[in-house]
Formats: sequence, structure tokens, C-alpha cells
Amino acid sequence: MDEDVLTTLKILIIGESGVGKSSLLLRFTDDTFDPELAATIGVDFKVKTISVDGNKAKLAIWDTAGQERFRTLTPSYYRGAQGVILVYDVTRRDTFVKLDNWLNELETYCTRNDIVNMLVGNKIDKENREVDRNEGLKFARKHSMLFIEASAKTCDGVQCAFEELVEKIIQTPGLWESENQNKGVKLSHRDEAHGGGACGGYCSVL
Amino acid sequence: MATGAGAGPGLPQVRGPAVGGEQLPTGRDLSEASRFSCAALCAVSLSRLFPEAEHSSFRTEWVAGLVKWLDLSETVLPTLTAFASGLGGEDTDSFTQVLLKDPVVEKDPVVLTQDLLSFSLKDGYYDARARALVRHVSSSFPVSSEELHLLEETFLESLKESREEESETAESSRKKKEKLRKWKRYLLIGLATVGGGTVIGLTGGLAAPLVAAGAATVIGSAGTAALGSAAGIAVMTSLFGVAGAGLTGYKMMKRVGAIEEFMFLPLTEGRQLHVTIAITGWLASGRYRTFSAPWAALAHSREQYCLAWETSYLMELGNALETILSGLINMVAQEALKYTVLSGIMTALTWPASLLTVATVIDNPWGVCLHRSAAVGRHLAHILLSRQQGRRPVSLIGFSLGARVIYFCLREMSQEKDCQGIIEDAILLGAPVEGGAEHWEPFRKVVSGRIVNGYCRGDWLLSFVYRTSSVQLCVAGLQPVLLQDRRMENVDLSSVVSGHLDYAKQMDIILKAVGIHTKPGWNEKSVLLAPHSLPQEEPPQAGASSSSEKATHEHEQTQGPKPGDTPRVATRTNPSQTQVPTELGQSDGTALPPAASPTGSSQICQHGVDTNPLGCPDCASETQD
Repeated sequence: MDEDVLTTLKILIIGESGVGKSSLLLRFTDDTFDPELAATIGVDFKVKTISVDGNKAKLAIWDTAGQERFRTLTPSYYRGAQGVILVYDVTRRDTFVKLDNWLNELETYCTRNDIVNMLVGNKIDKENREVDRNEGLKFARKHSMLFIEASAKTCDGVQCAFEELVEKIIQTPGLWESENQNKGVKLSHRDEAHGGGACGGYCSVL
Repeated sequence: MATGAGAGPGLPQVRGPAVGGEQLPTGRDLSEASRFSCAALCAVSLSRLFPEAEHSSFRTEWVAGLVKWLDLSETVLPTLTAFASGLGGEDTDSFTQVLLKDPVVEKDPVVLTQDLLSFSLKDGYYDARARALVRHVSSSFPVSSEELHLLEETFLESLKESREEESETAESSRKKKEKLRKWKRYLLIGLATVGGGTVIGLTGGLAAPLVAAGAATVIGSAGTAALGSAAGIAVMTSLFGVAGAGLTGYKMMKRVGAIEEFMFLPLTEGRQLHVTIAITGWLASGRYRTFSAPWAALAHSREQYCLAWETSYLMELGNALETILSGLINMVAQEALKYTVLSGIMTALTWPASLLTVATVIDNPWGVCLHRSAAVGRHLAHILLSRQQGRRPVSLIGFSLGARVIYFCLREMSQEKDCQGIIEDAILLGAPVEGGAEHWEPFRKVVSGRIVNGYCRGDWLLSFVYRTSSVQLCVAGLQPVLLQDRRMENVDLSSVVSGHLDYAKQMDIILKAVGIHTKPGWNEKSVLLAPHSLPQEEPPQAGASSSSEKATHEHEQTQGPKPGDTPRVATRTNPSQTQVPTELGQSDGTALPPAASPTGSSQICQHGVDTNPLGCPDCASETQD
């Protein structure tokens, strides 16, 4: 089934409740949009194979629940993730303000220090924007993240967000090559890198 | 009969009514995050315990059922299925943490185990894999296996009670009948064992007290939040087999192949949600002349059977083994042989001439028994596959040729479809079978719990008798089986077993060494188990009736446990010899004098440190790890 797949990448989607994490994922994997999507319980998990620069990559995407009551579960998913998509709602400033908390959590639980982060401002189709694009861009620069604004509803920027993230991961061979070769010994691999700093090491592209 | 029918099976989602107004919390009372964690934990554990492709449908079905059971939204199903198929979920700690912080679980972690147990049993089908999973998940909370056992018993009780409630009118007469039946059963077993191995057919001797009445009730009336959705009787019938008679009801209708004798004898009286079948490897003279004798201390389950098979050949073999050991080979030679085997330089050609001269004594019965044990194993496989034992997990334990029976049973099962989820643990001790990992590989499919290979490096007798069967000395009973699987456990019994015959004699220590629960104060328990034990004049009577059948009758008269035998037993000084159980075992309830063995218990349960070379069972299991 995945004979020509270059690697399997673990992508994590995090962010406050209701910012549209599941909608982004649904748009990306199934190309559908459900305005009445129920809150995620625990975590959602989807697999999709995409092709970037002629390289096929299998994405195992973990869509975490934003609700507070499931927050305790989130740390376990960080392990071994190569890419993180941090989502906020451009129409709700509070979700943008809380990004710092999420970055803290990321730093605490990520097992690698070269993990690729992407900031996504969702719901740009809506009128009542509260967070300006430049604010998001500034925040992303400050924390060495990729940045894009998107709308799961109109499909704006969704594909682009994932592709760009994967491209960046593939450009960072240390991130996925060892993982790929040592599939059998995942456990030891994880343990050694525990607690490393996050989000350093390269510049943002936008 | 009528009272329970109203609540009948038509109300699938209704929990059983609580007795006394007290309703224990169930899995559904947990918070959503906890329920998700619970399901996720199970799913991840499933993928770890049963990664084989053969189990994939079980994994997905189980998880799907659990999602419904826990009242979780359907949307989590894809994620949990992914977990169950081994994707993601590397870390179960966080799930466990969330669960432990849940107020309900924090108060009593048994809730989780109980809920998983109810779920596993709700269809009247207790899969061995489900049991292994429940055990695995419970252990992280920490709910001990004893508690799990207790829970299972509680379930059984609640099932029983629900049935009895609705048939109160017929209760007294039935109880009378049951009492009679019990008596009859003791008598029959008595006849069977006293005769020195000749087994009298027990056609359903173990009556079906649990399933006798026909009406259905909703379970859960006992206050345990039991199987809310299924009707008790249906569950019971399914779990314990249609006749409810368990394995004793099985009778070999016709001669199967080369097998002349094949019969299940009850070792214990209880009923349990899982069955243990013990298989003896040979029958010696004296106290080990019955199939049940070596298993007196076995307490793996409350419902245990031993398999009676090919008495005459096993006796012949036992005699031959004893002849070799006691008469023809002196102790010095034995020691020498032991170390030769230990050093591994033995080949078929280097056996001492003195031994080869007596080879004829042993080779013939051994050869016959090797052959028969394979046939018996295959037969056992088909009995288990046809669910004669009911739809509940079975553990197999056997030594010597009994282990060979298990080996062939597992092998036969592995070649059949639907072989999964029947066998829980398989314990092979001193097995005269191939020890190559490739031969054991198929067992992964069959066995859900543990595959234990207990071996003894210095077992020269095994290596000698097996010499003609195998060119290379790759015998499981002599060395570890190097199968890479979480199920496989190799236990070096060299310090306990100094010769092949010790497998029967040291069984209680061996059982502890391989982590099998033994009766802590088994003599007291035996007393409890035989409350209706026959009057004191019974044993001779029973013996007399079978005296015509076996010459060993005399042994019974001289060595058998007389009710007044206590002083002799009590004066034993070395508890590690533990001859006591054997005497109990062979009487097995019939002639069991309540005071027959007062000394054994305290010494045995304490003897961990000083007399058991492997230490107490807990320590033993630790060191084995």
C-alpha cells in the first residue's frame, strides 16, 4: 500500500476549542465542510498521503480536542511529532492570546527540538475579524514558525498549509530520516530526546 | 420462573435493578474524558497484546463494542480503531493518569475492571483475549489478579442468584436433588480414583445447578452492575456450554483413532468463568497413581479438571521410569548423567552402556505414549474447538507427556480457523517436544495469555528417552524456547527439578515458580470443598467396589488416606516434600477426611523463604522476569 511512500510523518493540530482544528483536517482529508461539526472527543486521527516535490509522504494527523476537559490527554500525542499546526480563530482574539500557553505546552512536551511548527489563522471568510494578519505574522516570526491564514469553509489556504509544513519537514532530513530507518526501535529513540527545547533553529518563510 | 421473565431480554439498554437501592458506579458514570481514555487504553493495549493479523477483526469489533458500551460518540471510533490497529498511541501513561484522576476511579479502581468485565461477558462469550486484556488493563490501576478473580466470582454469583430468585418454588426440591447429585458424584469419583486409574464414565456427573431452569432474567440484581443487556440464562448457557455440565459431561462416544481413554475428571468443585485443565504425564505406583495426584496444590481457577487418558500406557511408562531411576541406575551414575546433560556434550552415541542395556524397558512404553499423547492432544484440540467447555477461556497445564498433549493440542488448534480466543495460558513443564522457536510460532495465534515453558537443564532421563525421537537435542523440556513474543516465558526449573520424575513430586513448587496460583491453605480449602464428604466408612466401600478392576487396590488400602491418618501426616518434618496434597488429590473429595492434612497448609504457604529454593511465588515471579 505504501511502497513508494518516502516517510510517515506525524502531524499534530492544536489550539483552543472551537477555532476549527477538526474542520481544517476534514477539509484537508475529505474536502468537506460541516458548520455543525461536534466537538472532538479526546483526539481524532486521520491518515492521508500527499505528494510534495515528487516525494510521497504519509501523514498521520492527530487532531486534538481543544476543550479543557480533554486537555490532560493532549501531552501524550506530542511524542514523536514532526510537525505541529497551531490554530487560532481570527475572529476571536482570546484564541490568539492563548497561543502563548500552547507554545509553552509544546515546549514542555515535545520530544524533539527541530520540530516544524506552523501557525494557522482560521476562519478568514468571516467578516468580524479581530486579529490582523500582520499580528499573526509577527507572532509567527517571533517564534520561528511558518504562518498562513486559511478558511476551512472556503478551502482557502488549507491545502497550502499542510503542503508547506510537509515540505519544510522533508527539507529537514534529521527530523524524519532517522525515524524512518529505526522504525523498530521507536521507544529508545523517543526517550533520549525528551525535554529538548522547541521551535529553534531556522527562520520563518513568510 | 415468572418473576424475572417480565424484565426479560427485551430491554437491552436497561441496567439491572440495584438491590437495596445501592447502585455501584459503572463505566458510564465516568467523565467523557475518562471514558475516552478507558477506550483508548484498551485499544492501545489490544494492539500491543495481539498485534497478529489474525486478531485484527477481534480488535476492531471489541473496540467498536466498547465505544457503544461506554456511551461514547461514534466520532471517536476511527481514532480508536487506529489505536487498536497499532497506529499511534505509543504512550498509555496519560490515559492511565486521566483515569486515575477521575473521581469514580480514584475512589475505587475496581469499577473499571468490573465494567470491562461486564462488557466482555455481555454476549455470553468470554474470550480468552478479552480476559487477557482485562487483566492487562487492570494491572495498571492497580487491580490485582485476585481482585479480578473475586469480581469474576461475584459475577457468577449474581448470575446464579438472578436465576434462583425466579425459581424459588422449585428451589427446595432442586437443592435436595443437587445434594444427591453431589453425593453421587463423590461416589463416582471415588470409584474412579480408588481403582488406581481406571476411570468410570461420569456422564454429566457434574450437574448443571446453574443453568437448570429455563427462564430468563436480567442480571444485575445482586447489586453489582452486571450484564445489563443480556439475559442471564442465555449468558450462562453460552458461557458454560449448553448442558452446563462443563467438561465432565464430555464423554468419548466412540474410540477416536488410537485413543482408548479420554476423560475429564474434576479437580475442584467450584464453577468459574475460566477453566483450567491439567494433564498428567505419567502414572507411577504409590501416591502418584492417579491423574489428579500431582495437581493437589493447583489453584489456577476454581474450576479445574484433569485429563484422564490412556491409563494403562501411562502406568506402564511410569513404572518403567521408576525402574530406571530406582533400580537400574545408581545414584552416582545419575549424578554423572545429570552433569553430562548439563554440559551439553551428550549425543545419542555417548550414552553409557549401562543405560542402553535397560533402554528396552523404557523405549517401548515411551514410544507408545509419545504417539498416544500426540493423538490425545489433537483430540483435545477438537473438543476445545467445539466448545465443550462453554464459551470461556481455558488454561492448559501439563508436565512431561501431558505437556506434549498440550503441544499437540495447540498445534492442532493453530491449524484450524476460529482457534483464537479459547486458550488463555498454556504451561508446558518438561515437555518432550521440539524446542525450536519455529515450532512454537503458530501458538501465538492460539494462546492469548502466557506460553510457559518450564525446563530443566539436567533432566537426563528426558534427554535419554527422547534420544530416539530426535537426532538433535533440541527438546523444550531441556532448554528455553527462543520465541520472540511477549507470551513466551521460559522458566528454568533446574533448581527444583533434579530428575524427570520430580515434575510430579515437586509440582506445588513448580507451580509457584511458573507463577501459577497455588492453594494457600489448600487443606483447609479442600475441607470446605467437600462439605458433604462421605462418612468414614465410605472409602473402603468405594475401594471394594472397584477392587476387582485393579490390583492396585491393595495400595489404596495401605496407603490411602484414612480419616484417622492425621498423626502420620502431622509428623512430617520436611514441608517441601509436601506429600500431603497427593493423598488428598487422589481421594479428590470422596474419601477426603476433613482433618487429613493439617500440617501442610501453614508450612506450605510460609515455606517460601526457607524450603522453596525459588522463594515465595511473588518473589519467584520477579526473579523469573
